Order: sequence, then structure tokens, then C-alpha cells
Amino acid sequence: MIGPTFPAVLTAAATGDEDAFGVLWHDLQPRLLRYFKVIAPGAAEDLASETWLAVIRGVGRFQGDEAAFRAWVFTIARHKARDRWRQAARKPVQELPETGLAEPLAPDDPAATVLEDASTRAALALIATLPAGQAEAIVLRVVAGLEVNQVAELMDKRPNTVRVLTHRGLRRLAERLGADQGPRARRAV
Amino acid sequence: MGADDAWSAEIKWLPFTPDPDPLALDEDLAERLLDGGLRPDQAPAGYAAVAALLAAAAAPSPAEPAGQEAALAELRAVTRARRAIPRATGRPGRRRRVGLLVAVAVLGLSTTGIAAAATGTLPAPITDTARRIFATADDTAPMPSTRPGRQPAPSTGDGAAVGAASQGQRPRPAGEPEATAGPGASNDDPCRASKTGKGADKNKKLNAGASQAPVEAAGDPDNVTSECQNSRPDGTEGDGQEKHPPSNGQGRGQGGEPPPDAGSKPGQGQAGPPPNSGGGSPEKGRPIETGPRRTSFSTSR
Repeated sequence: MIGPTFPAVLTAAATGDEDAFGVLWHDLQPRLLRYFKVIAPGAAEDLASETWLAVIRGVGRFQGDEAAFRAWVFTIARHKARDRWRQAARKPVQELPETGLAEPLAPDDPAATVLEDASTRAALALIATLPAGQAEAIVLRVVAGLEVNQVAELMDKRPNTVRVLTHRGLRRLAERLGADQGPRARRAV
Repeated sequence: MGADDAWSAEIKWLPFTPDPDPLALDEDLAERLLDGGLRPDQAPAGYAAVAALLAAAAAPSPAEPAGQEAALAELRAVTRARRAIPRATGRPGRRRRVGLLVAVAVLGLSTTGIAAAATGTLPAPITDTARRIFATADDTAPMPSTRPGRQPAPSTGDGAAVGAASQGQRPRPAGEPEATAGPGASNDDPCRASKTGKGADKNKKLNAGASQAPVEAAGDPDNVTSECQNSRPDGTEGDGQEKHPPSNGQGRGQGGEPPPDAGSKPGQGQAGPPPNSGGGSPEKGRPIETGPRRTSFSTSR
């Protein structure tokens, strides 16, 4: 969060101030990358760049506070991701033979990694295993820092639907982590 | 059931205690997890790991994210383009202003011209040009050939003036060139009036006064033609009121070159109107001026 200086930062960034734009970028770029790593893994960097291009072109017309700006940026990000999905649907990517890939991870590896080092990457990987709606709702709430109503508007759903999605996602994460903790506890014993 | 078995009523039923859901999550707890306000050690059983996972997902990234330079480059480009837009949009604004000035100037000139024309204060060259245009338009129209007595409208468009002009009384603005005197000038010519009179008795009534001068000059009405032919080339002979340049033979005052034989045959009354047609009309001198047309007219009739 930028805080009380956000209006001045936004105004300066809209007029081309690179330092002010850097403040916005440092605040939101990590969140954008994490969001894309959950909803569009493999294209996070490209989608984040496309999002920033759209933000730069439209920041002069934006009016609102920091929360609204953040919601606006993630709305653009979601549209970019949806455009990428549509392109992928029109041009199916040829599947590579699995023999050339590294050995897939064990199903319980993401949770084990989270518990061991609690790294951000492992946490996002575990969240990405949730159903798409639940994963996106949790990321937008936790990573992007949006409120329920903002997430509902962004996802074009009702607020209660967003609450149900996040509730189910949290419960499923708890189930996954509890199930992973059991064998680890037994192995520790 | 044997005797040792207890009665069912004697069985002491234990109260039903359903197994509580260990992962039960109320709304408040969910909100606290999502907001990051619940530390792992504060989380209820089963959600400590979830709290740790969400904290890890929202933790600040220790590594500097890449791509800032590209974003700044785009910011510079967009800023330059945005600053260039006002300059580009200024040109249409200037064009609009120039166009408005031109429109105002044209409107002012038009209004002045109309006002000057209405008050009759137009300069002589403009009046002359307007008469030429109207005379040309009338000359190229097909109707006059079928209406032998019709005169090209003068600049005033007044029918009475047309009649007056045919009688040699048409008022002429000061400075008006005689070559553009119009059709009335041809009728002013007593020679033509006298020629016309040769073909039509009624012409004599109207043009008697005007034709007296050449008759007197020739001494004999039969010598009027030769007298007029002698007097025309230098233009000094006329009705005694106006000095005409050499006629073009059509009496139109167009100033153009006449046809080789224009005005000669009509002057002989060959194509003139019948003696009983158009008599007394101020346009009866017209057949002489439009000889070829009258020829075709009389032929078709």
C-alpha cells in the first residue's frame, strides 16, 4: 500500500514522472506477477507487461483512490489474461511429448514445500491447484488486497458468490495441508 | 431374545454427539485469514498452515521484479505522444479560425454587393459585366428564335424599359459603352427602322419619326438603303442622339463579330414578319437584328 501520498503519486505518474510511476510499479508489479502465476502460469511476465502498457496509456484518465486504482489495474490484468485464453483457444498449442520433460512433482510436494520454507512460489503453486474460481478469488483477496465487492465486480459475480468461493477454497487448502501434515507427522514419529 | 437379555427400555441410550467438523470455518474467521489479520499461532486447529500459506503468498517479494525499464520506456513514449497531441490539435483550431474569417469576408462582400445592386450604386464596369452576362444568356437561349419580338432583358428587367429601348428612348447609365447598348440600340437606328419599314407598313407608324432622318438625307425613300450603307461604317450617322459603333448586324450590342451576311438579308425584309403580324409592337425591329433566326423561323412556319 502506498498510503496517503497516493493521490500525489498518481497525479505525478499521470504527467510522466518516472519516480512516481516507479512507486506505483513497485507496489503493484509483484502482485500482478503472483496473480498471473495463479491464473495464467507460464505467461505471467508477458501479461504483466501488457497490463502495464494499458495502465500507462489510461492512467491519465483514471480518477479514484488507491483501492479503486488497484481494482482498476487488476481489472485490466484479468482482461489481458482472458484475451490470452481466447488466443490460446483459437490457436491450440501443440503438446510436447512428456518424455522430454522433467519428472513431474509428487502430488504432495507443493504443500510440503510450503510447510518447510513457506516460500511465496510454493504457496502460489498450491493455490493454483484449486478450482479456477476459488483460486482467483483467494488471490485477488490475499495478494491484490481487494475487498469482496471489488472482487465481485471484477469477476462479474455477486459478493455472496465470492464469499462462498473463498470459503470453499480455504477449506480445501486446509484439507490439503492437513492431509499432507498427517503423513509428515507419522514420518516424524 | 433370551431371558438374560435386557429390555429395550432398560438400555441407557447415550446422548447423540455428532462429530464436530474440525475444519469448520465461520465468516469472520475466513475474513481474518484473507485479510492477513490472523497469525498462524492464533489460527484455529487445521488453519494454522493455511494462515502461513496465505502470509507467504502475500509476503513482499525480496527479489527486484524485472521489467521496470521497459515500463518506463513505454511511459516516456506515451508522455511524449500526449504532449504532442495539443500541438497537433492546434492546427485544426487555426484552420477553423481562418475558415471563419474567410466566411465572414465572403458574407460581407456579398451583402455589400447586394446592397449596392439594390441601391443602384454599382460601379459602371460591374453593371457592364452584368449586362454582358445577361445578354449572353439570352442570346444562347433557344426561345428568342421562336419569339421574334422578344428583347433581351435589360439590367433592370423592366418591361417598360424594354419597350422604351425599342423606341430609341431607353435611358442609358452614364459611362455605359455603346457596344453594350442592347437590342434597343438597333431599333434606335433609323436606318434599320426604315429598312424594317420597307417590309411592314405598320413599322412606318411607329418608326416614322425615326426613319425620317435617313429618308431626308437620302432624298428618296428608295435611297435609304444606300444612304445607310454609306453612313454605317464610320458610325457617325445615327438617330442624331447616340453615336453607335459599327453594328454587328444583329442589334444585340454584343460587340462580337457578326456573321458574314448577318443583317443584310433581313434588312431586305425577306425574313421579316408578315405585314400584319407584330405590327405596332416595340419589338418589330427584331427581325432585322436576328436575321438568321428569323429566317429559320419563317422557314419553319
